[in-house]
Amino acid sequence: MADKRTMTLNLTDQEMRLLEDLSARKDVSKTALLRQALRLYQMVEARLSRGEKLFFEDEEKKKAELMVV
Amino acid sequence: MKPNSDREWLKKQAALEDNCFVSVGGLVMAVEDLEQQTQKVSAARQAFVSLVNLSRREHKLTWEQFSQKLDVDLAELIGIENDENYMPAPRTVTKIAQFIHVPAEKLFVLSGLARARDIHFQEAALRFAARSQPVEELTSEEHEALKEYVKFLCER
Amino acid sequence: MKTRVDIIDNRTGEPVAAELFDEVTVEHFIEAQQEWRPIVLKAARQLASRGSRDLVPQHFHWDWTVKAPELGVLANTFYGIRYDKKLQGLMKLETVGEFCRCRLPEQADRSLVYVDYVEVAPWNLKTLMVALGEKPLYSPIGSRLIEAAVLKSKEEDCKGRIGLHSLPITEQFYRQACRMTPVGRDSAKQNLLWLEYTPEQAENFLTGVRP
Repeated sequence: MADKRTMTLNLTDQEMRLLEDLSARKDVSKTALLRQALRLYQMVEARLSRGEKLFFEDEEKKKAELMVV
Repeated sequence: MKPNSDREWLKKQAALEDNCFVSVGGLVMAVEDLEQQTQKVSAARQAFVSLVNLSRREHKLTWEQFSQKLDVDLAELIGIENDENYMPAPRTVTKIAQFIHVPAEKLFVLSGLARARDIHFQEAALRFAARSQPVEELTSEEHEALKEYVKFLCER
Repeated sequence: MKTRVDIIDNRTGEPVAAELFDEVTVEHFIEAQQEWRPIVLKAARQLASRGSRDLVPQHFHWDWTVKAPELGVLANTFYGIRYDKKLQGLMKLETVGEFCRCRLPEQADRSLVYVDYVEVAPWNLKTLMVALGEKPLYSPIGSRLIEAAVLKSKEEDCKGRIGLHSLPITEQFYRQACRMTPVGRDSAKQNLLWLEYTPEQAENFLTGVRP
């Protein structure tokens, strides 16, 4: 495993509740979930930088574009 | 946790895996596509060989002198020249690209190390390959063809 | 990361020490393409000429210029197995993304590690080698890579859960050799079969327990 570094993270009550809710739903620790979120952000960012677009698709196959700020 | 070092596990898995194909759906290509790809690769490869050969002859170098100038193995250059299936090392292709002053990634496609996504690229490779002939002295047509093709590779 | 993994040299039947590593580079993709592809093509043509089209590997022409950008993305983890100075297998995992969700009802939506691709060097695959009149060299490369995927899943706190889409020709490996649960065909992915591990199944695979 690569060496790890530690940081302190301040979250609002709402953000902490969200973090706890998601980590329970995904059955991973809060730390693991935040690491997943960071990687997902990098992945999306990398593809957007290459000119790709990100879409969600609903059941009726209608696409809505996700705008990432 | 470390990989299982138990010999029984190893033998059991080897037996279970014995008649199986191992792959997943991330990399799929039917054999018909493989045949088409092979034909396209041949044309590009011919263009690569012609490009290397004409460039060497334009500088009036023997293969040995050329390999010394590029600082690559002579065996690599002979492989490129004589064996359609020979895959040169990326370093060799990079050195050739520097010598000819074309982008390395274009030569990676021509040499077969990468795949072209551009139909115009493939068509241009075919035309260039068709115009180059295996004679010692470059004809004025070959000079022209070489000049045009190098220009094309640099511009796109 | 580099770690020792034993594989069997089929010529002697004895274990040999191979290396599992995660620092995969573009050169490894190129090596795989240069070393593996000619043999795959040759075997594919042999199989096709014998009318065994269903056995033809739906294999690859990797465009490594497309694969190269995947290497710098943290969501992706790559593993290779090397022995006798040659690449024996290659695997790409995703730890986040659209496929990193469990589909088995009992663990629906929980995080898993997705196996995007697994490739074993053709000289290790019996069907290909027999077509060329030879024997496979080393095994069990596929199992070692799936084992690495499960260990990575545990490292990511996904409890060993992994998921993947299988080609029809490789379903036998995942169903029988790995004992993964087939969940259903994915219409969004060429109707490929989705298979998954629960934490218990993953543990059983790692330890060799067959319930």
